[in-house]
Amino acid sequence: MNIREATLDDMIPMQNCNLHNLPENYQMKYYFYHSLTWPQLSYVAEDEKGRIIGYVLAKLEEDPAAEPHGHITSLSVMRTYRRLGVAEKLMTQSQNAMRDVFNCKFVSLHVRKSNRAALQLYRDTLKFTVQDIEKKYYADGEDAYACRKTLQ
Amino acid sequence: MRELPQKEANLFKQILKCYENKQYKKGFKGAEQILKKFPEHGETLALKGLFLNHLDKKEEAYEFVKKGLRHDLRSHVCWHVFGLLYRSDKNYEEALKCYSQALKIDKENLQILRDYSLLQVQTRNYEGFAETRHILLELRPQNRQFWIGLAIAYHMMGKPDLGIKVLTTYEETLKDIPTKPDYEHSEMLLYHNSMLEETGDIQAALDHLDTIEKHVCDRNALREKRAKYFLALGRQEDAEKAYRGLVAHNPDNFAYFDGLRKSIGLGHDNLSAEEEAKLLELFKELQKEYPRSNAAKRLPLRYATGDAFVKVADEYMRNNLRKGVPSLFVNMKTLYTNKEKAQAVEKLALGYLAALDKTKGFDNSGSTVEPPTALLWTLYFVAQHYDFKRQSNEALTHINRAIEHTPTLVELYMTKGRILKHAGDYVQAMNVLNEARELDLQDRFINSKCSKYMLRADKMAEAEKTVVMFARADIADPLNDLVDMQAMWFILEAGESHLRQNQLGRALKRFHQVEKLFADFTEDQFDFHMYCLRKMTLRAYISLLKLEDQLRSHQYFVRAAQNAVQCYITLFDKPEGADSEEMEGMTEAEKKKFRNKQRKAELKAQKETEEKKDPEGLKYIKTEDPLGEALKFLKPLQELAADRIETHLMGFELYIRKNKLLLALKSLLKSIKIDANNATLHEQLVRFALAVQKAGTSLKPAVKSVIDKHWDTLFQGKAKDLKAFTASFLETSKTLGSVPNLISAAIAVSLIEPGTEKSKAEAEAIIFLIADDKYIGTRSLENVLVAQKTLKSLRSSRVQEFRTKAASWFPKATVFQS
Repeated sequence: MNIREATLDDMIPMQNCNLHNLPENYQMKYYFYHSLTWPQLSYVAEDEKGRIIGYVLAKLEEDPAAEPHGHITSLSVMRTYRRLGVAEKLMTQSQNAMRDVFNCKFVSLHVRKSNRAALQLYRDTLKFTVQDIEKKYYADGEDAYACRKTLQ
Repeated sequence: MRELPQKEANLFKQILKCYENKQYKKGFKGAEQILKKFPEHGETLALKGLFLNHLDKKEEAYEFVKKGLRHDLRSHVCWHVFGLLYRSDKNYEEALKCYSQALKIDKENLQILRDYSLLQVQTRNYEGFAETRHILLELRPQNRQFWIGLAIAYHMMGKPDLGIKVLTTYEETLKDIPTKPDYEHSEMLLYHNSMLEETGDIQAALDHLDTIEKHVCDRNALREKRAKYFLALGRQEDAEKAYRGLVAHNPDNFAYFDGLRKSIGLGHDNLSAEEEAKLLELFKELQKEYPRSNAAKRLPLRYATGDAFVKVADEYMRNNLRKGVPSLFVNMKTLYTNKEKAQAVEKLALGYLAALDKTKGFDNSGSTVEPPTALLWTLYFVAQHYDFKRQSNEALTHINRAIEHTPTLVELYMTKGRILKHAGDYVQAMNVLNEARELDLQDRFINSKCSKYMLRADKMAEAEKTVVMFARADIADPLNDLVDMQAMWFILEAGESHLRQNQLGRALKRFHQVEKLFADFTEDQFDFHMYCLRKMTLRAYISLLKLEDQLRSHQYFVRAAQNAVQCYITLFDKPEGADSEEMEGMTEAEKKKFRNKQRKAELKAQKETEEKKDPEGLKYIKTEDPLGEALKFLKPLQELAADRIETHLMGFELYIRKNKLLLALKSLLKSIKIDANNATLHEQLVRFALAVQKAGTSLKPAVKSVIDKHWDTLFQGKAKDLKAFTASFLETSKTLGSVPNLISAAIAVSLIEPGTEKSKAEAEAIIFLIADDKYIGTRSLENVLVAQKTLKSLRSSRVQEFRTKAASWFPKATVFQS
């Protein structure tokens, strides 16, 4: 498994991976926007053939009132590539870049309340803490856990 | 008449503001107010048109903008507005003309110059872009964006040295360089450095890197560049250190290990035994240093050979099977291109299985007892291994054992489905995938895979019902949402399913959707021309420009284009195929009635979603010029996928139908260059020779002389006797043991002597050669299907006989069952 910084060429396969795995989808322009604004923050995982099998799409949260911090827009790994720690490796690289390039103090993300597997990953493996519940965060009316993690 | 009285002049200024702030309704009202008193005020008329455009009244928009222009031809505002209108319709050529008119009137208008330059870069007129950017910089030398814009223009013109000059000059004008690293400044410096690298002066790039180091935020880019430069400059020791540093930051990046390998002189293929040992030793050391790195464990499998390979593969496979890593087989499969390695892996896996059954360990030493899941994952591995070798029965036996062991594991059903799919039982494959889906209804991945298998089985309704389960539920037409979200995998699979079912209109609708998405991606870049100059993410911006230029070489586009071309060729060859499936068996009068009904429905549907509109794709099958439509898909492939033989094989199919012999010739020559032994190519060569023969003296001398010139390249001097040409091709095909070549030879034989019983019998005999075991290597399901189709098109009486044989080769394939 090859873990590397995402480039613009990765955006089409990244979108494909997202559409296969997750209910929250975005148009290509939004991927371009991420890669052209914070080119250092998104990472991909490739298999031996160079196919994108996982990614983290990340951004800087531009809230002048708060400390600089990163935000995970989307993270997913193809089901058939589980148990290799891919999500964790992707997150580690993205978080390091947030800290080193943009001087971020923490990173935040949202998880669907019903998505127990994801919550487990973020809370137990990646050491995020649940800060809050955002009511009706998702388009279908579901609540979200707002999670964050301090970057050292 | 341009001058307005004070009150209206103020109002006019306000409506300009409204446009900038996107308050189109308000602006529209303001314009109306002015026009009440001055109905012939050109600039106001033009602006009213622009507002109308944004209020979705396209036709009126053009009417008013043109009217405004007629009243005030000397107004740069009117021309600018006209340009904006064209631009919003993506008619860049006309927009450029309007801007250029506006600039003739007002040479130094920054806004127009800026808009003009955006269109120039969007249309890749880099010379013009550089010119405009130069003017802008001269007008406002204190503006950072104008300096950067000019540097980019030179860079994209292929003159990075000029780009560097511009940046250097700008950097020298900077009085207060931020003391702390500043992201935007840092990005500019790194861009500067990348241009230096592009000039090929690596030493200069390395020196520059040292001077900018303290201003750079992107530390990783700094490390990567330095390592790369050291390597390029032959500073091995420095490179080694640098790559070791990179590995420490990301011990899962293949490129870093690759750099490290090169820096110690082991980057080449064909390592000596000693070198191989040294490299494996290095990886052993790295594995200890980075115990969590997958790459450090996996990469040695690429380099190790012989016994050393068995040793590293053994350890790697045991660990993964013990851990239950589902992707182990897919990962190992890439090593199978090396036969020796493939055999070694097989031996290991079968050995584990036998030992696990006997002593619950991976070997019979009895030293360790593995967890019960080890057997499960080994069975899973072995099943995939047999499937890879297309030994369906063995594969099914093992996957069934695995399912018996753990009936709740989704992955097992996915593999079982894949085995059945490869065996040709698409419906059973789909059913198994559906079982898997029902095991985990929360998981979109298995839902997507299941939907795909439904499409492969041509069960459109079921696929649509399944796939929308994860589309947004709050939307009235969820399938449309899927297309909106640009789910290309689905669009393509759906289109291919329609094509298989000969629903050409529906298929074309899908392939045109893919084309539209790529057009949207091209369009998407427009806003980023300005944006990136502001954000200074210039390296990323350059890769955007390069990506956009290559966009249609993406496999999704290539797939859509190849399929669309095939649809249009079918439409051309069999215009009756232009009827939709509902129209089958109707009389002409009924068809007319049906079409009328369709047309009415179409009109009614205009307010509906794209998805519901014209579901039959009548718009596409009604085309007067299917070959012309096909060419539109082919053009980007000729430019961007010229290294694929399919591009030129398709080109031939189109040109020969259009009777464009020279273009057909050109396609053939390109195909020959790529693969002179290609199966389809032979058939095309014969068709070409026949077409030239048929044209005879009607061929223009100029055309004939070009064809003559290349004749020997095409036919190796054998064209005079097409039979001999094909006979020699057939001999080669036999030696190669190639089924596609046999099929092509059979078609050629039937073309050379059309309609005779003798040639038909000969063609049939060639196809039946497939039954010989020496063709087993290429006797795939797909190829056998093509062979059967060829027999059918020959109107052969031996189709049933062939089908029986095929059924014995593929006992599970439903298509051969009667």
